[in-house]
Amino acid sequence: MNRTINILVAVILLIFSAAPEIYSQSLREERDKYTLLTMPYNMRPLTLYRGQLKADAGYKFAVKGRKFDNDGNPVQLRTSGTGSVYHYYFADIRYGLLDFVELGAETSYIRHGVRSESVTYTSVSLTSAERVTVNQLKEIKGFSDILFNATVRLPIKYKWFDLSAKGGIYVPSAEYKQDKPEHRITNITAADSYTVNYKYNYTNGFGVPVYLLASQVKFTFRKLSLQAGLTFRTPAREGTSIRWEENLVEKTFIYYDQSYKYLLSDAWFADLAVHYQATGWFDIFVNVSREKTTGGWTEYWGNKYKNRETELIMIEPCFELQISPSLTVCQNAGFPVAGKNSDAPFYLFTTIRFSNFPFFR
Amino acid sequence: MVKYTHILKYLSASAMFFAPFICSGQVEKQLTPAEIKQQTIVTEPVTLKKGFIRSGMLTNYRVADKYFTDDGIKEYYPSNIWGTKSVYNLTFQYGISDRMEVELSTEYMNSRQESQKTEFIAATNTAKTVVTRQKGTGIGDTYVKIRYQIFPETSYRVSVTGNINLAIPTGEKNPTDIRSAEQYDLPVGSGTYALGGGLFARTIFYPYSFTFGLNYTYSFTGRKKFEITDIREIEFQPGEVLNLSLGANLHLNEWIVFSNELTYQHKDKGTVNGHYSALLPLTWSASYRPGLVFQVRRFRLGESVTIPVKGKNTAADPLYIVMAQYVF
Repeated sequence: MNRTINILVAVILLIFSAAPEIYSQSLREERDKYTLLTMPYNMRPLTLYRGQLKADAGYKFAVKGRKFDNDGNPVQLRTSGTGSVYHYYFADIRYGLLDFVELGAETSYIRHGVRSESVTYTSVSLTSAERVTVNQLKEIKGFSDILFNATVRLPIKYKWFDLSAKGGIYVPSAEYKQDKPEHRITNITAADSYTVNYKYNYTNGFGVPVYLLASQVKFTFRKLSLQAGLTFRTPAREGTSIRWEENLVEKTFIYYDQSYKYLLSDAWFADLAVHYQATGWFDIFVNVSREKTTGGWTEYWGNKYKNRETELIMIEPCFELQISPSLTVCQNAGFPVAGKNSDAPFYLFTTIRFSNFPFFR
Repeated sequence: MVKYTHILKYLSASAMFFAPFICSGQVEKQLTPAEIKQQTIVTEPVTLKKGFIRSGMLTNYRVADKYFTDDGIKEYYPSNIWGTKSVYNLTFQYGISDRMEVELSTEYMNSRQESQKTEFIAATNTAKTVVTRQKGTGIGDTYVKIRYQIFPETSYRVSVTGNINLAIPTGEKNPTDIRSAEQYDLPVGSGTYALGGGLFARTIFYPYSFTFGLNYTYSFTGRKKFEITDIREIEFQPGEVLNLSLGANLHLNEWIVFSNELTYQHKDKGTVNGHYSALLPLTWSASYRPGLVFQVRRFRLGESVTIPVKGKNTAADPLYIVMAQYVF
């Protein structure tokens, strides 16, 4: 018993002795906002400082020249002419409520057109010649759902170790039902010779609330830092959406929609980054990430089919450059390393970050 | 008379004595040549100083995904074709005098077009796959440009620079290494001489600079094969080209510049064998080009992206540009 009391007293004394290092509402530290705004990566904590506002705007240009099949083999899309590009726009805003609590919201917009291999059907007889070419394009376009999140970190002054936990929810704010297709018949050279251009319009919303849980850990040793994270995303419930079908009658498309149910896959995202703070305003790092989706199903004609499990490992050389106290520019180049049932895009991702303390002098 | 001479002497002497004080706001900081060579795109002289040499490489990359139709609508290319184009442009600039510079540039082209299409033939119950592989690699055309400061920036708030450009068709103009109708090497040159000229105006309100450019290019008649099935070269003349640009550049700090440019290009219809042809249609495009330019002493690194906003009969995909320059 005495031993337990002694241990408790020792712990309390340790906490009190470390008191100056612990943030509290009663402490009035001298806060120079320019020092905080220009804090190098290797010296800053995992969340924003109290009163700090940060807004990011990013653009990712991705070239999908290949993909990984079910066995993890790379499949060249360029050679078959079915390569495609992504245009991905990203925006988020975060605010440091306390030195160890941060609130944020983020959304994105994507535009991605995927062409399938064109096929021509030819039927020639003594009396007629039919030649029908079929082109198919699937376009994914639109805003993603808005993610509202909160992050807490250890309530200690950052020196060499930090740990954070994040919780959030994707509110189904974006359009998720497939838009009506815009198929066209062109190049009509004869009664039965023409080109069919299928164009399917997909959206980018989940359609149901999705929860997000994440954790980050950061270690610093002089100019070197190591940051690792794990993120888990899971849907709150099943969703219902529509799928458009079409009939071609006398070269005119008649569309009708069918309702179907679905359950989004769970997604795991792990990343590990090694940072080197070259100077106070320049941080260079390499990030390795692994994304995996499991579970979930989609209904087709009344039957539930399990979603394919996907996996993608990327390596990203990146830099973060402080332009001015309020402005930072970041750039990543992403190279796909391995994966399964997944696109394998190469991308360039540029982000401009604006940061300030709007309510402090 | 002697009295007036004395008064004049006093006035001259006082003018010389007080001049530095009266004109203190007008004194221009004299920069050393080393400092001039380290200036950014906002503050650098509009043409190179006498004897200065600037060399650089400009790389641009584009993927064929969307285009502007004849009606000005942005659409995806309908069939499955994968096209990329990279151009590596090497430039060499020399300051002949403080107001005149000459530029020589050449380019290495690397363009590719790949597709795969399948045809099902009912009569024979067979399927045929047609694979297209076309690449165009090699040295492209050569360009010579002379710039002269008509209204030099040392004397005027807005400097105006005139330029004369000459394009020399040094690149291969015809399809080569024809292995089949689908597999051959694409041309990398335009196949015709072109002469152009224009004006470029710039004013600096540090940390900003504003620019305006107007250029006209006339292409001469040339001969080349448009299709691999062409037995002999066909006479053609590309349409006249008008380029307009409006720019605003901003110093984000002492060595990083955020550049912004709005550009408009109008290319008139061209002729083939003396007649207007669908091979050389009228095209125009309006684009926005934001960029970041980093000046690290004499070394300059820049990246920008040209985003086509509106257009007709032209590519609608972003063009990525990376630039590296060094002043000797």
